[in-house]
Amino acid sequence: MDLVFIFEWLDTSTLADISKASAGVFAMVQTVHIASMVMLVGMILLGDLRMLNVVLTDVPSETIIKNTGKWIFLALVFIILSGIYEASAIAMKLAHNSFFFAKMAGLSMGIIFILTLRGAVYRRAPGLVYPAGSSEVLPQSEILEPWVVKLVAVTSLCIWLSVAAAGRWIGFS
Amino acid sequence: MLNELLLKFATWLDSFQSSTDLHESLYMYGWVESTHVLTLILFLGMLVVIDLRLLGVAFKEVPVSTIVERLDKPMMIGFVVMVISGALLFFAIPIRSTQSIWFRIKVVLLISAGINAFLIRNMTRSSDMSWDNDPVPPTRIRVGAALSLGLWLSVIGVGRSMAYDWWDCHKELPYFMYWAAGCVNEMAAFE
Repeated sequence: MDLVFIFEWLDTSTLADISKASAGVFAMVQTVHIASMVMLVGMILLGDLRMLNVVLTDVPSETIIKNTGKWIFLALVFIILSGIYEASAIAMKLAHNSFFFAKMAGLSMGIIFILTLRGAVYRRAPGLVYPAGSSEVLPQSEILEPWVVKLVAVTSLCIWLSVAAAGRWIGFS
Repeated sequence: MLNELLLKFATWLDSFQSSTDLHESLYMYGWVESTHVLTLILFLGMLVVIDLRLLGVAFKEVPVSTIVERLDKPMMIGFVVMVISGALLFFAIPIRSTQSIWFRIKVVLLISAGINAFLIRNMTRSSDMSWDNDPVPPTRIRVGAALSLGLWLSVIGVGRSMAYDWWDCHKELPYFMYWAAGCVNEMAAFE
């Protein structure tokens, strides 16, 4: 399916008139986009590294996941809003930019991954990552093997780091 | 005087073939820049977690010392690689970076953020840490954390602005701007 019509519509929208008007404001929005990306990927990184037993091993993984959730969604809102603003200013350039499509594919995959598999698996992490004293006690049959949790953590890291890297390469192509 | 010295240093770096090669390489420059961004995520991501805890808005049930001490290592790993990749980016484009007002502000902000981090560390070390388990740390610590977040947000902003040529030396600018950006030749043309 040819998606060029979406970019043509965006390129002629009122938002594009605004975003193309000032390079200074565009640079500020870019800064918000990068700062939200730091927040988003930083919080995801923390959860994933915890599940891999790399950081904060003496803090229950449940505490980490619970605390990062709110910031992840807050950052996502800012990322998407600032991203749409940026895209409107260079819509026709993006229409033929393969890194942009790679990034959008990765971003969609990442969001679906967080909402479904990552959350579900992390809630069923075994005692290895839930130290004694954890408030949430799951029935033995629901607890997953450590390798499953770690596989999800590595997958999550790969998805989000490639989204960030693809974003940087949009500017080079 | 300082502007001349800095330009001399940049011109010397620029004379290396490897500087030109890196700048003109098809992929290497992009990879160095990507490394800079990815390690910046690791460094600033951990820093944000620490600062949000110091502000008393996240991880309130975890002691401050646990967050600060445990995240120090991954944060510093990110910092070291970020600085190395940043130095390589400077080495690839030394003259334009030296004469960039944005880069100059960035260096000042980086030094300020460093001093601020040092002050927070000193304040934490000199206190008895009786507030270690408090959900919200004392005001002076929170001020430091807010400053830290503000300074790093500004570092991102000026870093991003370096890509634009609004105030590059080849533009027509007031004398003060030429001086601030270190446009030595353009300043001479004024006299």
